Amino acid sequence: MIDAIRGALDDALAADPAVCVLGEDVSVGGPFGATKDLVERYGEGRIRNTPISEGTVVGLAVGAALAGLRPVVEVMFVDFITLAMDQLVNHAAKLHYMSGGQLRVPLTIRVQGGAVGAMGAHHSQSLEAWFLHVPGLKVVAPSTPADARGLLLAAIRDDDPVVYLEHRGLYWNRGEVDGAAETRLGQAAIRRAGADVTIVAWSRMVATALEAAATLAGEGVEAEVIDARSLVPLDLETIVGSARRTGRLVVVHEAVERGGVGAEIAAAMSAALPGALQAPVGRVGAPFAPVPASAELEALYVPSVERIVEAVRRTVGTATAPVA
Amino acid sequence: MLPRLATSLLVQQLRTMIRIRRFEEALIRLAGEHDVGHFHVYIGQETTGVPALALLEEGDVSYTTHRNHGHLIARGVDPARMLAEILGKSTGTNKGKGGTLHLASTEHGFPTTSSSVGGPLPIAVGSGYALKERGLDRVSVCLFGDGALEEGAWHEAINIAAVWNLPVVFLCENNSLEALGQKANEYPSSTLAAQRLTDLVRPFKVDASAVDGSDVAAVHREMRRAVRRARSGKGPSFIETWTVRWPGSRPIWPQLVTGETDLAFGWDAARIPDAHADWFGRQDGLLRFLRELLAEQRITREEVLDIDRAARAEMAAAVRFALDSPYPAPEEALEDVFA
Amino acid sequence: MTTVASPETASAGDLVDLLERMWAIRAFEEKVSELYARGRIKGLLHLGIGQEGVAVGAAGQLRTDDLVFAGHRAHAHALAKGADPERLLAELAGRTTGYCAGKGGSMHISAPDVGFVTATGVVAGNIPLALGAAFAAVLRERDTVAVAFFGDGAGQTGAFHESLNIASLWNLPLLLVCENNGYAEFTPLSAHTKVERIGEYARTYGIPTATVDGNDVLAVGSAVAEGVLRARAGGGPTFVEALTYRLRGHYEGDPAKYRELAELAEWKAKDPILRFTAVLVERGALDPDGTRAAEIEREARDRVARASEGALAAPIPGPDDLLRHVYAGAPG
Repeated sequence: MIDAIRGALDDALAADPAVCVLGEDVSVGGPFGATKDLVERYGEGRIRNTPISEGTVVGLAVGAALAGLRPVVEVMFVDFITLAMDQLVNHAAKLHYMSGGQLRVPLTIRVQGGAVGAMGAHHSQSLEAWFLHVPGLKVVAPSTPADARGLLLAAIRDDDPVVYLEHRGLYWNRGEVDGAAETRLGQAAIRRAGADVTIVAWSRMVATALEAAATLAGEGVEAEVIDARSLVPLDLETIVGSARRTGRLVVVHEAVERGGVGAEIAAAMSAALPGALQAPVGRVGAPFAPVPASAELEALYVPSVERIVEAVRRTVGTATAPVA
Repeated sequence: MLPRLATSLLVQQLRTMIRIRRFEEALIRLAGEHDVGHFHVYIGQETTGVPALALLEEGDVSYTTHRNHGHLIARGVDPARMLAEILGKSTGTNKGKGGTLHLASTEHGFPTTSSSVGGPLPIAVGSGYALKERGLDRVSVCLFGDGALEEGAWHEAINIAAVWNLPVVFLCENNSLEALGQKANEYPSSTLAAQRLTDLVRPFKVDASAVDGSDVAAVHREMRRAVRRARSGKGPSFIETWTVRWPGSRPIWPQLVTGETDLAFGWDAARIPDAHADWFGRQDGLLRFLRELLAEQRITREEVLDIDRAARAEMAAAVRFALDSPYPAPEEALEDVFA
Repeated sequence: MTTVASPETASAGDLVDLLERMWAIRAFEEKVSELYARGRIKGLLHLGIGQEGVAVGAAGQLRTDDLVFAGHRAHAHALAKGADPERLLAELAGRTTGYCAGKGGSMHISAPDVGFVTATGVVAGNIPLALGAAFAAVLRERDTVAVAFFGDGAGQTGAFHESLNIASLWNLPLLLVCENNGYAEFTPLSAHTKVERIGEYARTYGIPTATVDGNDVLAVGSAVAEGVLRARAGGGPTFVEALTYRLRGHYEGDPAKYRELAELAEWKAKDPILRFTAVLVERGALDPDGTRAAEIEREARDRVARASEGALAAPIPGPDDLLRHVYAGAPG
């Protein structure tokens, strides 16, 4: 996936001189190599190393966008987006609205997150619920190299600020990449068809959900797994359509369950399909705690195949353990 | 030149430095086989943290960042419990919840380590405020690197410490000397528009000095002044210490690039391998301090080797303790979310 | 909006023009104050009465395509940059004909067609935005300048520090104009910082700095002209600290009990409009019996009165307007 990201950046930079890349260490490839060698092709002006000043760098990117560029800012860990929340929430998200439509902020912010490598509470979070809650931001989260490319190209083309959520646990996953395609925002993908239950997931949890589906198939339960891909705009149509057919819905995310995006989807389902669901919407998310550093605890913290299987079992009435 | 301290105190400082060195070397070896997260070692900076923190007393608080192991050991935190924490075991300083980046020990005056660059600065100032309000003559010390000066939080923190005249010592360990970096404009750094880091402190009217971090006497002298100033109600100070970054700390993950430190390099230059002549010959502050102690006959080679043997044994035991300790039970993941 | 030549070579017409622009702002702000008191305008307003010299002196040196970013006290800067008073008043009154269709209000004015990009309610929040516009100018190889107006209170923020650092490191065509009026809301500057002049921070980062009498419109113009020249020639950022004073409270309704009346009186005597009028008389650009000066004031007030009528007659936004403009592209 990391190559797909780099490839998309490369293509975007080549196609549009207004595109530029800003972030810490980007001119030497960044800590994960996402921007490797770009500086050789596009120069130090367009591939800009910044000091450790997330707040001002995101603000700078907003100002540059207002002045005609299409910046792609890299914030090294999503946990440090906190330093830039003022510029992201108060300016990037709101300038179009507050100006009555005059100003546009075609900004892309790449952040990576997720609990990988026992790095502790400041390097492991999943914060998409924060961004979903801010009118004016768009939020995407690819799970495959193809979508990593497609969504990034679309995000850069988009005239609104897009928070592009990467998961470093996916960086070295391999997959087919269509050299040309953009993945339209607001379009989910059905990764596995099934008639008995709908599982919605995104980012790293898609693979976990698919593993759970394989286990469930052995129990005679066919799960339909939907990769949301885009959280804002959210493809409710596909999700509702699937849930209407299966009658059961479970939402899975690595982020803390309480107040997570799953809660929004569950509530939206209640409104869209009153009486049509056979069981309450299930949610599987991380427990309500900061991410613990200990590798063993971290492994328990991240939603597992088993927890997803149990959640599905609850919707079909075959749960083996009482609800926690 | 050595600080004007009793021999026993100087030897104690050398002992602490050697213990830190052996701890970090043991950790790097351990990281080859175990998942310890992204860690940072203090090798090459022992001569800053140890003499500086030796001046702190009970009730003084200190805050540090991701390069924290040396600081905690310097203030007496048990290496075994630190290693256990780094490995995520329940016997660790933070019960396995914090890891290397968030090691803490309130009883030793380290309430927390933060891993966002610049993160601890406002917190340290806050402690300084509390200490002053409570009428205590205690000090709050913030240890950070040159990178923290790029963060807005630095500017806000030192401004408040200055205006409110708080008992805070800002100790900036600049380990970017001779680092391969880009220049910008006519500045030596590509990330800070200043010829000298201490220039950045000038507008705040805070006492600022800069010294060679491998010169124990200089570090001691500046820190003593700063601590006295804070305790006597004269407000904050800023100390910059320069050290050359250890070659093993240049890759993203620490590696024993120069191999384990042979303390005999301190008295037998012929043993120093050519490949690391610069590092062991003149840049490694620990060896420099050792040579000074030997030259002034404050210590003998035998005593040094004794100290080293004990340090190695201590760290080997710490490794065993950490490896043998249990991981936290699953339920513990949800403990301590709230008080 | 044409730039004004240097004070030495400025014609009488140019000078009178500056006075007219200051009066346009003064009349506007006083009308806004009146309408607010009468409940015709709502919200949180921060008026720039007494600080007109800075906005007018600075804007007079800028081209339309130079981009300005201001803070919460931004009416003067928008007007000085060429914003239409009726559309501006309509915005303050929350009307659909306002610059921002009633969505932005006093602290979020945006008039990009005259190069006033945006105001902001976050202290110092505009400085990184201006930094970005300067960065864009360099990348696009334009010779435009980006300008950030902010107060002394912004000098203590992290964003200010980070922006100075980056502007200097990257040698950006940025003008930082600090209106030091001695107060950050209700607190004098001295309680917030040990520097006497905010410009000291800028010097620390090697940025050329000038301190000027902010109530001397020509002095402001000179300092800004130098900065603009430097920026356009690729010489990087400039910091101009303009010492001034707000003759009203921090916000409309603020009784400002934290100020000494003597201080207020002292600064009233240094009112930029009064002073410049005297200068023009001295230079023979205005008649000494004050007829022309009174005319200028009256014309300014008449124009504002007409703008006010037009603005207040405009429609109020409805429920459909609420959800428009959340996104530029397809909705989220």
